[in-house]
Amino acid sequence: MILIFLRHLLQMLALIALQVLVCNHIHLFGYATPMPYVLFLAFFPLNASRIGNMLWAFVLGVIIDAFSNTPGEAAASLVLASFVQWPLLCSMVPKEVAEDMVPTFKSMGRWNHIRYLSILLLVHHTAYFILESFSFFHIREMLITYASSLLLTFVLMLIIDTLRNGK
Amino acid sequence: MSTLQDRIREWGHWIVFLLLEITSLVLLLRYGSYQSSVWFTQANAVTGKVLEIENRVLSYHNLGELNRQLTETNLELQCEVDILRHRLALLEHDSTQTELELAAHLNGIKRIPARVINNSIRDRDNFITINKGKADGIRTEMGVVCGTGIVGIVCQVGRHYSIVLPVLNSHSSISCRLKRTDYFGYLKWEGGSPLRAFIDDIPRHADLKEDEMVETSGYSSVFPPGIFIGRVKRILNSDDGLSYKLEIGLSTDFARLRDVSVLDWKSAPMIQTKKENEEE
Repeated sequence: MILIFLRHLLQMLALIALQVLVCNHIHLFGYATPMPYVLFLAFFPLNASRIGNMLWAFVLGVIIDAFSNTPGEAAASLVLASFVQWPLLCSMVPKEVAEDMVPTFKSMGRWNHIRYLSILLLVHHTAYFILESFSFFHIREMLITYASSLLLTFVLMLIIDTLRNGK
Repeated sequence: MSTLQDRIREWGHWIVFLLLEITSLVLLLRYGSYQSSVWFTQANAVTGKVLEIENRVLSYHNLGELNRQLTETNLELQCEVDILRHRLALLEHDSTQTELELAAHLNGIKRIPARVINNSIRDRDNFITINKGKADGIRTEMGVVCGTGIVGIVCQVGRHYSIVLPVLNSHSSISCRLKRTDYFGYLKWEGGSPLRAFIDDIPRHADLKEDEMVETSGYSSVFPPGIFIGRVKRILNSDDGLSYKLEIGLSTDFARLRDVSVLDWKSAPMIQTKKENEEE
C-alpha cells in the first residue's frame, strides 16, 4: 500500500518536473506544447480505487495549473480523464488477467496499449482545449494548437513509455 | 443490508467526480477576475521559488548582473532624454503649467528593479512572473517597464513574487498616444506575433505617418507619460470602417525579457502633494 503510494508520488514529481522545467517552455512551430503529465493516469493499476485515482489526478492537475497559470484547466481535464480510465482499461484487457495488473506494453499487448494511451490523451486534450476556448478568440489557431499538442504529446508519451519498459 | 451504504458504494465515484470537476471549474471561473487567490498561480511562494531556482540555474550570474546595470542605465537615460525634451519644448514655445509639472514628475518616479523568472509569449493570455512582491513595495496596478520600453501592468501580488499582465495578453489595454500629433487610443494585442499590437479608433481626420513613435499618454495613473511603446508599422481601416486602426511594432522584445523595473510613481512625492491638494 505504502509502496504504491510512494511510487505514485515519485511518478507525479517526475512528471511535474518534466512538465514545468522542460515542456512548458516548448512551443514547437509556435503552437505545440507537449503535456506528458497525462501519462500519470495510464499507470494506475486495474484494481486501484477509482476515487483514489481521481484524487491523485486532481492533485496533479492543481499543481500543474499553479505552474502554468491556468487554474482549473488541467485539474478538470485530468479528473475527467481519470474518470474514464477504469472503464476504458476494463474494456481493453482480456478477461483472465491478474487483478492488480499495471497497464504496460507487455501486459496489454502493444497495439492495445497504444490505443489505450491515445484515447486517454484524446479525452484529456479535448476537455482541456474546450475549457481554454471559453476565452479564446482565434478558433483556427486553437485547433492547430490542439492537434499539434496532441500529436507531440502522443509521440513523447510513447517514447517515455518505451524507455520505462526497456529498463 | 443497509441500502444507503450500498448506494454510496455504487455512486461514490460519481459524487467524487462531480465534486472535483466543480472545484476545478470554480477555480477556472474565479480566476477570470485576475484578483483571485494567489495560491493557485505562480505568485505563490512555492511555485515562485521553483521557477526562480530554475531561472538562476539557466542564467549566467555575471551576465545577469551586467544586464541589470544596462537596464538601469537605459531607463535613467530614457528619463533624462524625456526631461531634456520637455526642457527643449519649454525653450521653444511658451509651456503651460501642466507641461512643467509633467517634466518635474518624471524626475521623482521610484523604480523597483525586478527580474523576470517566468515568461510566456505563445499563449492567448500571457503572463510574466517577477521576483518582487508585496514585501518589496509592489502593489497591483503598478506599471512595469524595461530598458527598451513598456512591458505591462502588475495584476497579482504575492509576498515575494508578482504576476505581470504584459501587453501580450488579450485583457491588456494601455492608454497611449502618437508622439507627434498627440492623438490617443488604447493599445491592444490580438494574439499572433509577439512583435505587433494594435491601436483602434484613431479618427479619420488624424494626420498619420508610418514609422511614427507611439508612447504612453499618462492619462491613466499606471504609467507616466512619454514611455516608449513602439512605432506605427501600418495604417489600416478599423473593422467598422469608421476610423483608422494602427498596427504597432512593439519596441520591447518579450521573448528575451530578463530585467525589468516596476514604476512606483503614485507614491512619488510630487504626485502625492498634488493629490492632497485635490482632496482639499
